[in-house]
Amino acid sequence: MKENQLNGIELLRALCLEFGPTGCEHNVAAMIEAQLGDICEIRRDRMDNVLAHLPGSGPRIMISAHMDEVGMMITSIDDQGYLRFTNVGGIDSRVLCGRRVQVGTAEHRIPGVIGAKAIHLQSADERTQTTPVDRLYIDIGASSREEAEKYVDIGDFATFDSDFVRFGQDDRLMRCKAIDDRLGCAVMIETLRALVARGGERPYDLWCSFSVREEIGKSGAKVAAYAIKPTYAIVLESTAIADLPDVPANARVGEVGKGGALSIADRSTIYDPAMLEFAMSCAREADIPCQLKRYISGGNDAGHIHKTGDGVRCLAISAPTRYLHSGSCVAAVADYEHIREMVLAMLKNWDKMN
Amino acid sequence: MELKQRITEMAGLMSISGHENYDRAALLDQLADIFDEVTTDPMGSHICIRRCGRQGAPKILIDAHFDEIGMMVTEILDGGFLRVINIGGIDTRILQAGEVIIYGEKPIYGIIGSTPPHLQKPGDAKKLKPINELLIDTGYDKDELEKLVRLGTPVGFVPAYTELLGGKLAGKGFDNKACGAAAVDALSRLDRAEMAGDVYLLLASQEEVGLRGGETGAAGIDPDYALVVDVTHGSAPDTKKDEAFPLGEGITISLSAATDLRLTRRTVELAREKGIKFTRVVEAANTGTDANVTQLVCCGIPTVVASLPLRSMHTYQEVLSPDDAEELGKLISAFVCDTKIAEDFAR
Repeated sequence: MKENQLNGIELLRALCLEFGPTGCEHNVAAMIEAQLGDICEIRRDRMDNVLAHLPGSGPRIMISAHMDEVGMMITSIDDQGYLRFTNVGGIDSRVLCGRRVQVGTAEHRIPGVIGAKAIHLQSADERTQTTPVDRLYIDIGASSREEAEKYVDIGDFATFDSDFVRFGQDDRLMRCKAIDDRLGCAVMIETLRALVARGGERPYDLWCSFSVREEIGKSGAKVAAYAIKPTYAIVLESTAIADLPDVPANARVGEVGKGGALSIADRSTIYDPAMLEFAMSCAREADIPCQLKRYISGGNDAGHIHKTGDGVRCLAISAPTRYLHSGSCVAAVADYEHIREMVLAMLKNWDKMN
Repeated sequence: MELKQRITEMAGLMSISGHENYDRAALLDQLADIFDEVTTDPMGSHICIRRCGRQGAPKILIDAHFDEIGMMVTEILDGGFLRVINIGGIDTRILQAGEVIIYGEKPIYGIIGSTPPHLQKPGDAKKLKPINELLIDTGYDKDELEKLVRLGTPVGFVPAYTELLGGKLAGKGFDNKACGAAAVDALSRLDRAEMAGDVYLLLASQEEVGLRGGETGAAGIDPDYALVVDVTHGSAPDTKKDEAFPLGEGITISLSAATDLRLTRRTVELAREKGIKFTRVVEAANTGTDANVTQLVCCGIPTVVASLPLRSMHTYQEVLSPDDAEELGKLISAFVCDTKIAEDFAR
């Protein structure tokens, strides 16, 4: 094992903590390149997608996970040195207030908190309603516009600033920002490592795309797919799971800890039924838990990938995640392992895919 | 020890109203070698006495409430989720996706859940869920959780502190332990001989649920006169000019029909003499602090109020300037050393 090589949850932790809002993924890309080292051919395309290639003879498979995370962009700095901002990616305004954030760029950042007028000073309406994002502000402790401008410029980015925490019974859950979709990135890194270590002939030509800009729908994965021209694509994602006591069973999407969630259809893609069947049979044979996503919702890079060229057969495997797009995404440690094992099982049996 | 460190150490203790004894051992460590005696009264207030060494000296009360807002468990649900209710006035806007500690048989980490967007009805995103409809996600099975948590188990915010520009601090519990820490710090630097009397620092309980411990604490001490220190609102873009005060520009002294006029005038004069940075604030009929109750015990206790500006009060990202806490410390020192006040107000 190489020096500084991180594995499993430690790898995921490092990736989650790295700063990488949509449009500013450079630090995450650099970390991924460093973690892959020289195990295979790696290049960055013009959009900053990181593409890793493991050659083989057979159909071309693309695996994609996105590097970016939801965040914010600074829109103005006021006379007292407070920062106004807007969301980059879908963030529920209710998870913003009171949050710790990092503000800046890939090169330099400072801490801040999203301010909230004290409850004592709120009107009755304010107490029962969400404060819209255009009335929130980031407090970096600056006393004036001049002081703030030394550290921050408009157009700078912000992300949630979360600790990575293992919690729950036997520490089976983990909480951090950006689990969506650094979890997919970590699975791809470990998949590549495992395939290289296994060696031998591969009955497929594999491209892994660590993609940019998924969260705003202007997907880097689309450009990657045009370059790769895959026959098959596997999108590794995180999906919002609502296994909560106040959600009726038919709306629960799936359950945290019960394995990767396979999509039948979502708002942007109808997935390839044969790939879905193949994925489930591979999981069944290797005794790896997985589940079907029970609710048609959301969308991911498959929506772009499957419409490139003359069409790409797509499968999506998602880590069931609670409180997606907040500073406290919650996922199960076991699901990370289940998804990693499932991808490896599929690749191992790819000759049975048709 | 630096004041900044004292502030985060004291604010980091768990002291939700009614549970002011939870971290008593750690509190005693923080107070060690500064006070002659620390006792806890039946209401849970901590009384910290530093004597001047002279017989018959006046008793000077410094009240800094020690309790903090929090929550408690009301229901344990399938899947290891908890329902809670607030203790004190919590800003519910900050709760969803927030981190908490459940102080059960052992501390348990939890996340306050939120409903994913696809399950929300139009308009839901504008409404704040009332606190009793939120769910805390513990990651435990229900039967395992029931061994560790019961109805009434307190739930608090995670003590994590961030230093912002200009040394400002963000985190939980500054209301009002920042003032308590400023008082402890100021007293630790005072020569006993300088003090105009015996100082009773009352780290009062149950202020956030109705100014309760301050009342019984003051009655138990029966001081000659009192200074109540608490937080006031720090100015922010969404506050009005006369209801909040800029951080870094000093403390406030309350002008109020609900406090002692003569003691307030002398305290203002004293602050000017000592070059303390302060603003006078009019709180005509109600200071909203323990002063409302401390002055109405025993034979009546002349009381004055000084406050530390704090942004985002009653959240877990309250923001203060340690420079202001230094100014508050200076006022506390001047107040307990002032012989003029002692002469005028000693019984």
